[in-house]
Parts: sequence; C-alpha cells; structure tokens
Amino acid sequence: MTAGTSAPSETLDGPVLRAEGLAKSFGPVPALSGVDLLALPGRVTGFVGPNGAGKSTTLRILTGLVRADRGTATIDEVPYAALSRPSQVLGVVGDLAGAHPGMTPRGHLQTQAALIGVPREWVGQVLHETGLHDVAGRRIRGFSTGMKQRLALATALLGRPSGLILDEPTEGLDPSGIVWLRRFLRTFADAGGTVLVSSHVLTELQQVIDDLVLIAGGRSLWSGSLADFTAEHASLEEAYLSMIEKEMACAG
Amino acid sequence: MRRLNDAVRGETVRLTRTRLPLWTLLTAAGCGGVLTGIVGLTGPENATPPMPGLDTVEGVSAVLSLLGVTLFAPALIGTVAITGEYRHRTVATTFLAVPKRGVVLTAKLLVYGALGLAYGLVLALSAVIGIYAGTVVNGIEAGLGLTAILGTSVRYGIAAAIYMLLGVSIGAVARHQLLAIGITLGYFYLVDNLVMILPGINIAYPYLPGGATASLTGSTALLEMIAAETGLAGPVIQTPLLGALVLLLYVLAASALAAVVSLRRDVV
Repeated sequence: MTAGTSAPSETLDGPVLRAEGLAKSFGPVPALSGVDLLALPGRVTGFVGPNGAGKSTTLRILTGLVRADRGTATIDEVPYAALSRPSQVLGVVGDLAGAHPGMTPRGHLQTQAALIGVPREWVGQVLHETGLHDVAGRRIRGFSTGMKQRLALATALLGRPSGLILDEPTEGLDPSGIVWLRRFLRTFADAGGTVLVSSHVLTELQQVIDDLVLIAGGRSLWSGSLADFTAEHASLEEAYLSMIEKEMACAG
Repeated sequence: MRRLNDAVRGETVRLTRTRLPLWTLLTAAGCGGVLTGIVGLTGPENATPPMPGLDTVEGVSAVLSLLGVTLFAPALIGTVAITGEYRHRTVATTFLAVPKRGVVLTAKLLVYGALGLAYGLVLALSAVIGIYAGTVVNGIEAGLGLTAILGTSVRYGIAAAIYMLLGVSIGAVARHQLLAIGITLGYFYLVDNLVMILPGINIAYPYLPGGATASLTGSTALLEMIAAETGLAGPVIQTPLLGALVLLLYVLAASALAAVVSLRRDVV
C-alpha cells in the first residue's frame, strides 16, 4: 500500500449500520442470541469479542450473506440486498479467498468493476492505492496472505463506498500496510464515512476506533464510546479482559 | 434490468480473464473433429466389432452418434462454472457485488449459454471436417450428403449448448463440485440408460434428458439395437424441437430449484 495516498478528498455521506435483536443458529448450534449493533457516519466502530462470539456471523448477516432467524440488520434502514448499488454504499473485507486463484488482481478487479457497474478505469486507481499495481498481472495463487488481504481491500474500495465493514483487516499485513490502513480508516471516517471493523488486535484497534461494540457468547455485552469503555482502565485490552472475565464468571 | 446487465458483463469479463474459453473450444474440437477424424481415418469397418464404412448411411450415422458420447464434456464445463465459485470461495464476493442471487444464476446461464453455442458450433463444424477428412484419405464418398451430415452435427451442437446449461443449473443445485460432477455423470451414464431398458418404466424415456437428447439429435441406433436384442418395443422418440424443449425444461426446473433452495442458503 502506498502510504499517504487514497485519503477520500471529498465529503462522504456514510450509511448508518444497524442490527437489532439478531439471533441465528446453524442447525442445533446457536451462534447469535441477541446482538445489537450501531455504527454511525464519521465514526470508526470497533467490533470485538472472543473467538466464536459471533462477530463474523453478525457481519455476514449485515451484508446479506447469512439470514438471521430473528432480528433486523440494515444499511440506512434497508437490508443490504435492497440497496440499489450496494458496493457503492458499503465496501466489505471479509474473506481472504475472495478471488479465483487462477486470475490476476487486474482480472479479478475488472470482473468486480463490471459486476458492480463502475468504470474500468477505477481498477487502475485502486490497484495503485493498495500497492498492487506492480503485481497486477501475476496469478493470485502465488500471493502471500498479506497480498491477498490487500486485494480484498482493493475489492472493497473499488466501488468508492461511503461505508466500510472490515473483518480482521490487518491479518497478514506488514507494518507499513497496517499503518496505511489505520490512517486510511481515520481519514475515511473524518470525511464522513462509516467504518465498522472487527479485530482481535486490541492495541491496534485502540489507536483508530471511536466507538466499541463487544459481544460474547452470541449476545451484546457493551456498546458505546471507547472513552466510556476504557474510563476505569489503562487500555482497551485491560477493559476488554476485565469485562470478559466478569461475563465468564457470571456464565460459569 | 440494470443489475442483470451488470451481472452479465461481469460474468463475461470473469470468463474472458481465465483460460476457460480456450480450453472449452479446444475440447469441442477434440470431441468433434479429432474423434470423428480418428474413426474416419482408420475406417469404421476396421473397428472391433466392425462398423459400417463411411461410404454408407449407417456408417456416417454411427460415427456422428459418437458425438452423443461426448456430451458429458459441456455439461461438466457448465457444472464447474458455478461450483468453482463455492470451491474457491469466491461466491461471497460475487453475492456482495450482486446480492440478488437469482440474477447471478441468470447471468451465468446467459453467458454460458453463449459459450455453449460456441462449443456446439466448433463441435459441429469440426465433426464435419473430421468425417470428410476420413472419406478423402480413404478415397471414398460419404454415405450421406453434406447437408444431412451438417444438419445432424448442428443438432449435436445444439444439444451440447443445452448440456452446458444443464451443467450450470445442476451445479447451482448441488453447489459442491464433486457432488455436482457425480450427479451429472451418474445420471447421464447410469440412470438414463437404466430407464431406457427397463420394461414398463421406459415409456418415460422420451421425456428424460437422455431420451430428449435422442429426439433432438435423431440418434436412435442404441434404442433400435436394444429393441432388436430384447424384442421389447423401443420408447417412442419425439421430434427434434420437442427434444430440445424438454431439455430446456430440465434447465429451467433445475434453475428454479436452485433459486428456491440452494441459492438461498447461507454463505459462511
């Protein structure tokens, strides 16, 4: 990624991301049993919780990939699938393996550009923005995890959305990539965009988020500003561990 | 409509950014020209057991009927087209770009329908070339005229195009690549042939994919042989147009099933 580039120069009209009372089971296994979430324009919202808490399931329900058994998930008051041009409202980074290994990044992004109805010229810009322009003609099957993550980001940014959902976006990124992403997300939100980011790297997350949603065991534990959450603790990590331990003690 | 246009453009770009079109057309030439060419050049009468020569109506018809054996190839290409999305986990990216999943399936059917027609055209033309190469090398005249050979070849070409669509729709129902390939091969080479020979049940044969294909292509040699060997009356074959329509109905039925059941499943 090219540090210092790609900050949105115009004002963004970010969407409101909202989930209320989400419940979901996969067969007999309950995944969610009451998740509420709110991510607002101009804010970076962190979405945290232990492994298996239901973060990815919640994000997949928000983006229409998984159907909730109960509850609602909306982007500006409508389900993702009902958006007229969804990829121009919300960019999603959710799966490293989102591109065919036999394709090149340029071919993959040209395919996506056609699918979402944006000009092909935007492909070159997003390749440059994410630092993939030098490898745009190489087959994806030879890519490292970090390179695939950059491609996932490029795919999410291709539609020039005003909102972003990112599930573990720093996975595999090198330090310069992580710094670039942090600056990008901050600038994106400051321009009016909405950012919802899930991560286990709390020290990294603390540097960029404004708000926090914490879930565990498939239900919401806390939602509000980062400042309120960490008010009585030295760091996000400490506050998080304290709340999770209390929850486990109650559950046990 | 705009969403479908975008989806069709996207699927077209996706197809042309891989080597699949090249391999598809090479496969068509192999199944058409190479197969009929080899049999034609070596002479069907030299096969074991001997077949009628290319200078007879039966000989040319028998060589053309070999095209029917290769129809699994376009079906498999169609199957892989959609199950590959699940295998390589690209389906989430596709559904994020085009959340209306029925639109994705419709776009794939349209794009692979066009690829299937290209496959069928190469299959038909190369088969004609293969047969005529055999007659020229062996110094004989084909037992059927060019119009009749071309007509039959084109019917096999149309069957190949519809089989590619069948593959796409079966892939959409099954989602899992190996399962879809197993269903495709298992049905066309086991179930269909069993139904053809079971007395009482075989009255349904003309309305099953294999029977409809026989109607479309006019390939009745196998049915006649079974009737001659067993003394059982062979199933009544329909017109080529009805055969094509029956096959297309299977495409529609499988696609509708996929839209109602498989495509609605969670992408996890």
